[in-house]
Amino acid sequence: MNQTTDLHEQKTAEFEARIARGEKIEPGDWMPEAYRKQLIRMISQHAHSEYIGMLPEGKWIPHAPSLRRKMVLIAKVQDEAGHGQYLYHAAETLGATREEMMDSFLTGKAKYSSIFNYPSDSWADVAIIGWLVDGAAIKNQMMLSHCSYGPYSRAMMRICTEEAFHHRQGREMVIKYASGTPKQRKMMQDSLNRYWWPSVMMLGPHDSDSPNTPQLVRWGIKTKTNDEVRQEFIADTAPELLEAGLTIPDPDLRFDEETKQWVHGPIDWDEFWQVVRGNGPCNAERLGVRAKAHADGKWVREALNGYASRKAEDRRQTAENY
Amino acid sequence: MIDNQWPRWEVFKKDSDRKPHQSVGSIHAADPEHALLNARNVYVRRPSAVSLWVVLTEQIFSKTREELEHKPLEKMEDAGQTAVSYCIFRKFGNRRRMVFMDHIGQVDATSPENALLEAINQFGTDQDLAWWIFPESAVVKSEAGIEEAWFAPAKTKSYKKQSKYGGAVEKIQKGNYE
Repeated sequence: MNQTTDLHEQKTAEFEARIARGEKIEPGDWMPEAYRKQLIRMISQHAHSEYIGMLPEGKWIPHAPSLRRKMVLIAKVQDEAGHGQYLYHAAETLGATREEMMDSFLTGKAKYSSIFNYPSDSWADVAIIGWLVDGAAIKNQMMLSHCSYGPYSRAMMRICTEEAFHHRQGREMVIKYASGTPKQRKMMQDSLNRYWWPSVMMLGPHDSDSPNTPQLVRWGIKTKTNDEVRQEFIADTAPELLEAGLTIPDPDLRFDEETKQWVHGPIDWDEFWQVVRGNGPCNAERLGVRAKAHADGKWVREALNGYASRKAEDRRQTAENY
Repeated sequence: MIDNQWPRWEVFKKDSDRKPHQSVGSIHAADPEHALLNARNVYVRRPSAVSLWVVLTEQIFSKTREELEHKPLEKMEDAGQTAVSYCIFRKFGNRRRMVFMDHIGQVDATSPENALLEAINQFGTDQDLAWWIFPESAVVKSEAGIEEAWFAPAKTKSYKKQSKYGGAVEKIQKGNYE
């Protein structure tokens, strides 16, 4: 073993000891390259998901059934844009640039949450997305707020605090429609039928199929496994959905009194991987809309750059004149 | 490759008169005015702010405790420069929170290195984990008197509060919603 390897191992051991003591790693601190890379991958994917997440819901803003629902939805979509910003910030502290991240996002190289590649076909989907999709995301984000990397943990704290109302407004709407007219109940059931499985899937592959998880847990990036978070999500949501009189489209779903765990039927992982690989119902549409928005904003970026350089020139001239 | 993004600015928010400015994250913007507007849109969507600062990231001198232990700072010779006022921000302790650093005071110094040495001398290094130092002249501040126009409107948006939904849900379940 040579000296460089020795030094690297010693540094890694010190780094892992810091994490074991519950210290946060901050920008500037030493970290293993694999830690940095994993975090950039996770945080930028998370940021892209917030951005793409605006699309399925944003589509319904003009069709909101009341002014209150419209204001709520606008505030929620605006929050998602802000959350993307918090996360891009966190990734930038690791040395990733906004240009690189945007580039791999818009060229389809980077991934984002599979759930946003499903269509939002009815107003009821806005309710279901709020309760189930945001609910699942919050479970994951609460876990990540304990993450060992300071900027990611802080972004998660801020996001969870703000997203609490996203989840609540969705739950309120689902329960209201589920106890409404037969047409409203049918609409809500149809939405649950389409969104239940994608929501259960979005928390990621089973622990037995996530080879990276043990290292991510040891480094305090994840503090729970995918299956643990999925279990929490089902335990929180399933009883209330059932109480609201809805039917969960999983005939095998039951609460095991002995283990105190929810048991669910087999997940269609083929579908999950198809969607992740870009073959979901809306992958092309979502990226297309995002890329167009970016291209359409080009003149704004140019105008602001032009204004900034003119102002800078003015300041230089004023300074010279004195 | 896509077109270049604007420079990065760090954002500092003061939640109330009793609280210090605290670093909340960053934004990208073309000029100081744009930076303040972006900072407000991204970080003040909830009603708690009396003042915002933005500082170009490249103007911030930053050190973590680990960096200082690895390579202790040496006092810079003053080559006749005049001392200027530096803002001292510090991360204190490992408690999980939403903000990174707190503004703990000002020191006069001729360089950021000397300002940090002076800050450590004044404020101690007991539980400090990271420091940010920048000259006060680098700070772009929200104007005094704009609080009402900039920060108050969010206060009326009660539908952004989770607590506004709890009761409604229980009412629906009991079947007597509106």
